[in-house]
Amino acid sequence: MNEVCFKNLDKKKCYSLKVYEQSGGYSIWRKILKGELTPEEIIDELKASGLRGRGGAGFPTGLKWSFMPRNASMQKYVVCNSDEGEPGTCKDRDILRYNPHAVIEGMAIGGFVMNASVGYNYIRGEFMEPFKRFEGALKEVYKAGLLGKNIGASGVSFDLHTHLGAGAYICGEETALLESIEGKKGQPRFKPPFPANVGLFGQPTTINNTESFASVPEILSQGGQWFADIGVENSGGCKLFSVTGHVQKPSNFEVPMGIPFKDLLEMAGGIKKGRKLKAVIPGGSSTPVLTAEVAMEMTMDYDGIEKAGSMLGAGSVIVMDDSTCMVATLTRLAHFYYDESCGQCTPCREGTGWLYRVLKRIMDGDGKADDIDLLLGVSDKIMGNTICALGDAAAMPVESFLRNFRPEFEYYIKHGKSMVKG
Amino acid sequence: MISNQAKKQIDVWVAKYPIGRQSSAVMEALKIVQAENENRLSADIIQAVADYLDMPSIAAQEVATFYENYNHKSVGKHTIRICHNISCMLNGADDLVKYLEKKLGVKTGKVTKNGLVNVKKVECLGACVGAPMFQIGEQYYENLTKQKIDEIVDNLK
Amino acid sequence: MADIEIEIDGNLVSAKAGEMLIAVTDREGISVPRFCYHKKLSVAANCRMCLVDVEGAPKPQPACSTPINEGMKVHTNNEKVKASQKAVMEFLLINHPLDCPICDQGGECELQDVAMDYGSDVSRFSEGKRVVVDGDIGPLIQTDMTRCIHCTRCVRFGAEIGGIMEMGGTGRGEDLKIEPFLAEGIQSELSGNMIDVCPVGALTSKPFRYELRTWQMNSVSNIARHDLTGSNIVTQTYKGRVKRIVAKDNDSVNETWISDRDRFSYEGLAHENRLLSPQIKVKGEWREVSWDEALEFAMRGLTDKVLNTGEANKLGALASNTATLEEFHLLQKLLREVGSENIDYRLNIKDLENTVTLESNIKLAGLEGVDHVLIIGSNPRLEQPMINHRLRKASLSGASIDVINVMAFDFNYQLNSENIVTPNQIAFMLAEVLKLILQASNAEIPEALSKIEASDTAKQLADRLLDADNSVIILGEHMVNNPQASSIAQLINEIAQQTNSTTLNISATANSMAGDLTEFVPGKKGLDANAMLATGLKAYILLDVYPHFDFHHPAQAIKALSKKDAFVISMNSFKDEAVAQYSDVMLPIASFYETSGSHINIEGKVQSFCASVSAPSDVKPAWKVLKVLADLLQLPGFHFANSMQVTSEISNQGHKQNVSNKKLDIKVKRSVNVIWQKSPYAVDALSRHASALQATKIGQMHSASMNKATAKKLEVAENDNYLGVPVSIRESVANNCVFVNTNKPIRGEL
Ligand SMILES: Cc1cc2nc3c(=O)[nH]c(=O)nc-3n(C[C@H](O)[C@H](O)[C@H](O)COP(=O)(O)O)c2cc1C
Ligand code: SF4
Ligand code: SF4
Ligand code: FES
Ligand code: FES
Repeated sequence: MNEVCFKNLDKKKCYSLKVYEQSGGYSIWRKILKGELTPEEIIDELKASGLRGRGGAGFPTGLKWSFMPRNASMQKYVVCNSDEGEPGTCKDRDILRYNPHAVIEGMAIGGFVMNASVGYNYIRGEFMEPFKRFEGALKEVYKAGLLGKNIGASGVSFDLHTHLGAGAYICGEETALLESIEGKKGQPRFKPPFPANVGLFGQPTTINNTESFASVPEILSQGGQWFADIGVENSGGCKLFSVTGHVQKPSNFEVPMGIPFKDLLEMAGGIKKGRKLKAVIPGGSSTPVLTAEVAMEMTMDYDGIEKAGSMLGAGSVIVMDDSTCMVATLTRLAHFYYDESCGQCTPCREGTGWLYRVLKRIMDGDGKADDIDLLLGVSDKIMGNTICALGDAAAMPVESFLRNFRPEFEYYIKHGKSMVKG
Repeated sequence: MISNQAKKQIDVWVAKYPIGRQSSAVMEALKIVQAENENRLSADIIQAVADYLDMPSIAAQEVATFYENYNHKSVGKHTIRICHNISCMLNGADDLVKYLEKKLGVKTGKVTKNGLVNVKKVECLGACVGAPMFQIGEQYYENLTKQKIDEIVDNLK
Repeated sequence: MADIEIEIDGNLVSAKAGEMLIAVTDREGISVPRFCYHKKLSVAANCRMCLVDVEGAPKPQPACSTPINEGMKVHTNNEKVKASQKAVMEFLLINHPLDCPICDQGGECELQDVAMDYGSDVSRFSEGKRVVVDGDIGPLIQTDMTRCIHCTRCVRFGAEIGGIMEMGGTGRGEDLKIEPFLAEGIQSELSGNMIDVCPVGALTSKPFRYELRTWQMNSVSNIARHDLTGSNIVTQTYKGRVKRIVAKDNDSVNETWISDRDRFSYEGLAHENRLLSPQIKVKGEWREVSWDEALEFAMRGLTDKVLNTGEANKLGALASNTATLEEFHLLQKLLREVGSENIDYRLNIKDLENTVTLESNIKLAGLEGVDHVLIIGSNPRLEQPMINHRLRKASLSGASIDVINVMAFDFNYQLNSENIVTPNQIAFMLAEVLKLILQASNAEIPEALSKIEASDTAKQLADRLLDADNSVIILGEHMVNNPQASSIAQLINEIAQQTNSTTLNISATANSMAGDLTEFVPGKKGLDANAMLATGLKAYILLDVYPHFDFHHPAQAIKALSKKDAFVISMNSFKDEAVAQYSDVMLPIASFYETSGSHINIEGKVQSFCASVSAPSDVKPAWKVLKVLADLLQLPGFHFANSMQVTSEISNQGHKQNVSNKKLDIKVKRSVNVIWQKSPYAVDALSRHASALQATKIGQMHSASMNKATAKKLEVAENDNYLGVPVSIRESVANNCVFVNTNKPIRGEL
């Protein structure tokens, strides 16, 4: 446990440059500045590590970095996604608070590999404490002469800036995030073109999640194979899981991929006293909900969770006990997507409101017999027909809640009250 | 309209972006002027920010109305931004909202008579392991209980 | 890019790699429904209506944003596609009012058209529709935002074509609202195009609002005559009245766009100030008479005053620059037939011997392709909006644009340099530039330039011209009365020759190209407009002249025309006090869209049009009036049955404006110069009578701009009257210069 991003978690002032360097921090960056590492070597190492994007989509990081036209002469950018807004997710906040230097070093390494001399870390606007930590860390590295132009006459340049959000979940979507850095509203762009070709300010750009960047220095220090071996097939390394909801000790855990869900549940102190596990959302609110039985058999890796019928997402494990009303829970999630839709594309703009209103009506006791079909129909029409994945994210919970807990919805519609809460 | 002090703060952000891309700083600029203006924006202020950053007023207005952190109506000196999303909800956020409303004597969205506080229900603030939680100003308050809320809210000045 | 083959609905189609699917289906005539896609705007891909089935993709793909690649197999019409399109339709309609019969767009709504294809059973939505409150966004565009489907065409139009983002999408999610910054409203000169691009009835024409349904109206193509473009338009008419004007596609002229002036000026046609019946002045009293009587009176007047006395050379003809090609031709022919060459349409020029004659030798579409532009004395955005649009396109594709102007204007593209120069120094500055250019090619330096020492500014301007492969120099209206006007034109001509630049002369507007082509200018024995008025003729025929707006020196002109022994025949479409004062006969003539004729645009393109509506009952097309008058005078060669026969008589050899060969004058003088520029919606009588246009911010432009130093010299302060126009003190005006931009008659002395 706690081998990569949380390596120094238990040390005093673990966020300081001193502590970071004492545990081997910036050794890779210094090697790069000395010209002892090539971009190709780094990409190979990352590919070997099996590191997959920690922002939710799970795209192999080494491969992503290799897509950048590193030899093209124009300005290129690396961008870190610290917008963390997926309900149930709160790991990047802790990385920024307790290990900001790993993010900085990871981004700098990325900048070197992709020949991008400027980076931005997009931090959600509410994260003022993490923002200040990160800014503090930046000051330290600049002072130490580790960032800037032509750093220590190495010929390598990297400048890193923060950009603060202002309250919009959609800015976590990578192209909405780029729009936001450009000072616009966070409306996702349609793809292609992909950011690697046309990204920030129209220039080639690579975007990774905070945890992805923070994992890079340790992977390169210890070797890709070392990292891969921590995890399981197809899911290299360890990963931060935010375990929240009805558990005794909600917390972030950095554990090897492939760990059984029931072990993770135990680490979080298990279900609250006198209660029984009812349901689990394993990867953040956008991933399908699972029943207790299925969850208890599941291992926490990409394939394991997929086999169980959901997705690893950002590793945000939301645990629900038998006191949970699934109608109320889904209504809350539907409200979230309705609230956060950017509004540009028709199915999501109109459909998320429709879903929410139907659920709200059911909650108000005015449900109709065909509402369940209506909900399924509307979510099916949103799925796959939108510019960005928020549309899918809004549709998937509806489908999975109804599939796994349909009787609860039928009961609510029929009796005008919750089967669980009465 | 925009104080010199605020302009200085805005310029720090402008400097982060490539030349000619000063409108990248609009999000922070709006926050900075909002803070100087009883925590709310008006058409005049938005226009002033747009002019300062040499961008169309409507583009600044788009930003000011897209993001949740800007206020267009009067708010209290302190806004209690209480998360009511899933992890917090599972841990009793809805009860706490009711508790706050009762304690302060105002519904969410309204400001207390003395202009000190208003309560706003917000989506996940990325602190779910500390659920239930709320934010006042820059500060997060986690693992809330009614008693803890009393302590925090009673100390607001 | 290379040609590749793809399969659409089972047919092989060849296309260019990287093209968007919808461009291919459109070219092949395969219908794919769409709302947000517009061929002249960037792709937004937000409506999700254009979904088609691409083999291999799990879900339908949007045709507007899916680039094609070799071997792609596409179905545009199978069940999967229909289901997806129907789903999108359902989403679009849940918050859209279903009251097409009362919507202004009814019958021409893209949403309604598509909805028909899916039947009316699309919606199972019963949660209450969204209602949007509308704000007032200005006099031209009416909004009904409950109908908006958020396609953002209007937003993109502003940002991409208008060059100023006026509409935006505020709020987010379901609350996304398309609106301008309300404190500013919509102000730009091309704003009406947003009405055309809006696929539904959310943006409609305010003057037109609620009048009629499209299918009740007749659509007649016509040509707008307000500027040098001759934009192609469709006039929509009902019961003999023009009710609305929309753009008509013509890529080589106006593409898909028209200016607000072209779109909204028609309102003037129905203005109460129209001149509606022929009148003659008897013993100082106006009398309404029949056409026969009026023409008889006119004919008598001419014969008695000049023809029978053998003083044909005491007859003059003056016309405004909005006359049609045929009107210009017939009037000059009439004059020349009776033996007079006192003919002129150039009424606003102080010294016709010293003005800006220069040819234009670049096409409108060609302007897009230049890599460098030098603009001298123009605010093209307001004066020639469609030409400006081409320049903007050039700028967006990388052209550098330098400006030499007497004051700073609001350009909607990036300028490489904006040089604000005192009118008296512009010739000198151009001379500096010419000298540098000659030096660069080691050419001989003429005596006149020998003493010049070039400034850095001139050096930069010269370098740009020398570096460019394909540059154009544009000469604008503000230079026509420059004390060194002819030298300016000569210098530009010389610079253009030396640098292989093309030239564009936009110093005269409307249909003045037709005035040139028909030689509506004095012949060798004739007098020009100023000379006629200075000498005082015995008879005049005036074609749609409004002295307070058209003459360079209105007071002098009115005085000359009012002379007791002068017999004045005025043909006008609007009443005018001064015209009534000096005329002996007033003949009501058809205005724009009420007559057939031709316009010649800046590139020499002759565009003929038919009347869209007939003129009010006692009002006649000017070409007919002139023909009958000629018949009454028993002149040969006026046997025309229609205006087309007139057109075909005019030989179109293309007209070249020769550059003056007067001695170059580049001496810098110190006096104050006043530049009088009619405000954009005051350029002709029709626009001046269009109430919505007049109510706009552009329509209200009325100020005499000068800098502090000049104001001090002239002893005026902000808001004082100068030449009857309120003073506006701005440091963006060059020294020793007053730039008057007005929508009102000029009354003071110049
Ligand atoms: C609606 C939506 C919200 C997202 N929010 C986040 C987020 O808060 N943080 C994040 O890292 N990625 C988020 N993503 C995923 C990003 O688009 C992107 O895939 C990720 O930042 C790439 O980094 P990675 O490859 O390191 O995972 C979101 C995606 C969607 C569709
Ligand atoms: S799916 Fe939703 S959030 Fe994503 S672009 Fe479309 S409207 Fe915006
Ligand atoms: S007003 Fe019309 S053009 Fe503009 S977004 Fe709405 S529907 Fe589209
Ligand atoms: S759900 Fe409340 S902070 Fe995340
Ligand atoms: S036309 Fe393709 S998405 Fe709108």
